[in-house]
Amino acid sequence: MSNSVNRIVIVGGGTAGWLSAGIIAAEHYSAENSVSEGFQLCLVESPDIPTIGVGEGTWPSMRTTLQKMGISETEFFRECSVSFKQGTQFHGWTTGGEDSYAHPFTLPHKYSENNLAAHWQSVRDQVKFADAVCPQSRLFNNKLAPKNIATPEYACNVNYGYHLDAGKFADFLRKHCVEKLGVVHISANMTAVNSADNGDIASITTDSHGAIEGDLFIDCSGSRSLLLGEYYGIPLVSKSHCLFNNCALAAQVPYQNPEDPIQSCTLSTAQSAGWIWDIGLPSRRGIGHTYSSAHKTEDGARVELLNYIATTAGEQAAADASIRKITFDPGHRAKFWHRNCVAIGMSSGFIEPLEASALVLVELSATMIAEQLPANRQIMDLVAKRFNNKFLYRWDRIIDFLKLHYVLTQRRDSEYWIDNCAASSIPDSLQELLDIWRYQAPWHRDTNHIDEMFPSASFQYVLYGMDFCTQTNPTRRRSDRETAKVAMALFSENAKRTEQLMASLPTNRELINKIYKYGFQKI
Amino acid sequence: MSNYVILSQSAHKQTKVITERSEKYGDNIKYAATFPLEFRNIQACYPIFFSKSSDTGEFFPIALLGFEDAENLFLNESGWDATYIPMMVERHPFLIGYQVSSEAEEGKKPVVSIDMDNPRVNEDAGEALFEENAQPSEFLKYIMAKLESLHQGHEHSKGFISALTALDLLEPFTLEITLDNGSNNQLLGFYTINEEKLMQLDGDALAGLNTNGYLQPIYMAVASYARIRALIDKKNARLQ
Repeated sequence: MSNSVNRIVIVGGGTAGWLSAGIIAAEHYSAENSVSEGFQLCLVESPDIPTIGVGEGTWPSMRTTLQKMGISETEFFRECSVSFKQGTQFHGWTTGGEDSYAHPFTLPHKYSENNLAAHWQSVRDQVKFADAVCPQSRLFNNKLAPKNIATPEYACNVNYGYHLDAGKFADFLRKHCVEKLGVVHISANMTAVNSADNGDIASITTDSHGAIEGDLFIDCSGSRSLLLGEYYGIPLVSKSHCLFNNCALAAQVPYQNPEDPIQSCTLSTAQSAGWIWDIGLPSRRGIGHTYSSAHKTEDGARVELLNYIATTAGEQAAADASIRKITFDPGHRAKFWHRNCVAIGMSSGFIEPLEASALVLVELSATMIAEQLPANRQIMDLVAKRFNNKFLYRWDRIIDFLKLHYVLTQRRDSEYWIDNCAASSIPDSLQELLDIWRYQAPWHRDTNHIDEMFPSASFQYVLYGMDFCTQTNPTRRRSDRETAKVAMALFSENAKRTEQLMASLPTNRELINKIYKYGFQKI
Repeated sequence: MSNYVILSQSAHKQTKVITERSEKYGDNIKYAATFPLEFRNIQACYPIFFSKSSDTGEFFPIALLGFEDAENLFLNESGWDATYIPMMVERHPFLIGYQVSSEAEEGKKPVVSIDMDNPRVNEDAGEALFEENAQPSEFLKYIMAKLESLHQGHEHSKGFISALTALDLLEPFTLEITLDNGSNNQLLGFYTINEEKLMQLDGDALAGLNTNGYLQPIYMAVASYARIRALIDKKNARLQ
C-alpha cells in the first residue's frame, strides 16, 4: 500500500470549506490537465445543515487568493454582492462619546524607510494620525472607491479588500471549484468516522455516498469541529478571560433608497458591553452587535442594536429587522493538525468578528496546506508540527491585536470596559509591547516574522487613533533634525496625494455600478 | 462645453462650418480615436495603439499624433500635414445618433447633431450646410456619408475589441524615446498588440478573427508601429 498523500477530503462546505478547496485545487490542478497525477480533492457537504454565513469582511489578501484561483474579479462582484472595503472606522471606542479613528489598509507613506509616528506626536493636536500619514481614511470617510473602472482587475490605486455576502460567496466558490478546478462535490451527511490501525482517519461514512476514503481530512465543519474536536477530542483553549464577546445578534437592513451611498469601510461602533458592526453591501447593509453575555442580557443587547438601526436607517428599518442570534465560545483548539486531520475555519477556533480575522485565517491555513502538502504519511507529522507552531503563534498575535483595541479605552461607564482593562485580562506579550511603546513608536523591530498577520503599522493606527502617548526619548539623536525635515515633507506629500485621489476617484456605488455595466479589464 | 442640437434646414440655413485644421479649432491633440475599418488609411500615416476609456475602462484604438498632451506633430501653420485625417477628427462639429421610432431595428433613423458652441460653427466663413434651394450642400452630403461610416466603424470596433480582449491580445507597453537633444522620454498609458500571443493563436482562433474581419486590422496595427520612427523624426525636427 502506498502511503503517499493524494486523496484530500474536506468535510463541510460554507466559505471555509470552499475557499480551502479552491486554494488547494488551484495549486494542485491546472486548467489544461484537470486532474494531475493521482491527486483527488473532494468536498463532502451536508445538504441539511445551513452555513452560518459569518464573515462578510475580507482582508486585501483575498484579492491574491481569488486571482490565484483564476476567478474574474468582475464576476465575483456581479455574483456575490461585493463592495470595496478599505479599512475600519471605529466610533466611541476611546471615550464612548464622539471620538472616532480610522484603521486603513494602506501603510503610512513610505513606511519601509520612515517611521512617521514619532514625528506625528508634534502635530497630533492638529491632524488625526491616519489622515496625516495616508490618504485612505479621508477616501473611505467620503465613501470613495479605491480605484477607477480603468484600473485593471485586482490592481488598486489604494489597497483594498472586500465586503461580501457570505452565502452567495460560498455558492460562487462551489461553482468555480467544481466547474473550473476539478473539485468533486459530494452532497451527503457524515454518519461515522472510521479509524485506521495507526489511529489515523481511514474514511468517513456518509448516508448517501457510502464510505469516502482519504489520506488527509480537512475539518471545515464549523464550530462543532466534528473531526478534530469531536472525534479526536482536541480541546478548545478558551480565551474568554481576555476577549469577552461570546454572542452576536445579526440583522440585514435594506437601504432607504437603492442608490444610497455604500460605505467603503467597516463601521465599528462601541456599545456598553460590545460593539456594532455595519457593513455596506450594494444591496443591503449587514449590521450586528457582538457582546459579552456576562456583561449584558440579550434583551439589553437587542435594544442597543435596534437603537443603532433606528438612528442610521430609520424607525421603520428597526421595526422590520429580523434578528438572528449566534453564540460562540471565544478560543481556539489546542492544536489544529492532529494525525491526518487538520481544521480550518470555525472548527479551528473563533474569537470575535473584530478586524475580520476569520476569512484571512482560512486563506492562510489553506495556503500553507497547499504549499506544504506532505508528500507522504511519514513527513506529515513534521508538516503538522510546523503548521501547529505557526498557527498557535498567529492566534496569539490575533488575540494581542484584538485586545489592544480594548485596553486603550478611557471608558469607565460600564463593567465591560472596566474589566477589559484589568491586568489579569491582558496577555503578558501585549503588556510588554505596551510598556515599550510608551517610549518608542512601533515599527519594523516589533514584528518577529516576515509573514506576520498584522504589520506594525496596524498597531500604530490603533494606538494613535486611541490617543495613546509615546514619549519621545529624552536623549536627542544626531539624526533627529534631518528625519524631522523628511517627515514634514512626507506629511505634505501625503496631503497632496490625498487631494489628487479625492478629485479622481469615483464613489463606491458609482464604481460598483460601472463594474456591473462594463466590468474590469484584465490589464 | 459642447452644445449639440439636432441639425435641421430651418434652424441651420445660414450656418457655416470652417474646415481649416488649426490649434484654435481644437486640433492640437496627442491622439485621435480610430476604428478598424479605417486602419488601412490610418496605418499609412500614424502608429495605431489602444487606450482605455477613463469612463468605462473599455479599450479603443487610437492614432498617435504626438508624445505630449496638446502636441499634434502633424499640425503646422498651414494645416494638418498628412494624406489622411482620422474620421473622428473630421467629424467635428457633428455627431450622429439614431432615433428609435419603433421596436424594430429597421425603424432606426439617423439623426445628425451639430455642436453650436464649437468654434468652427459660424455664419460668415467656411462651408455652407444648405444650398439656397434648401437642399443639403455637397459638404453636408460628404459629412453625412462620413458619419454613416463612422457609426458602422464604431459598431464593428466593439466586436473587434471584445475579440482582442477575449484572446488576451492586448498588453500594456512603455515606449522609451531618446531625442536628438539627449533627453529621455517615456510614452505611458497605451496598449499594443501582443505579437507573441498573436503568433501562438491556433487555426480556429485565426479563422474566427478572419471571418469577422478582425484579422487584417490586427496586422495593420502591428505594421503601423513602423510609423513611430517618423513621429520621432517630426519631434526632433521641432526641437531644432
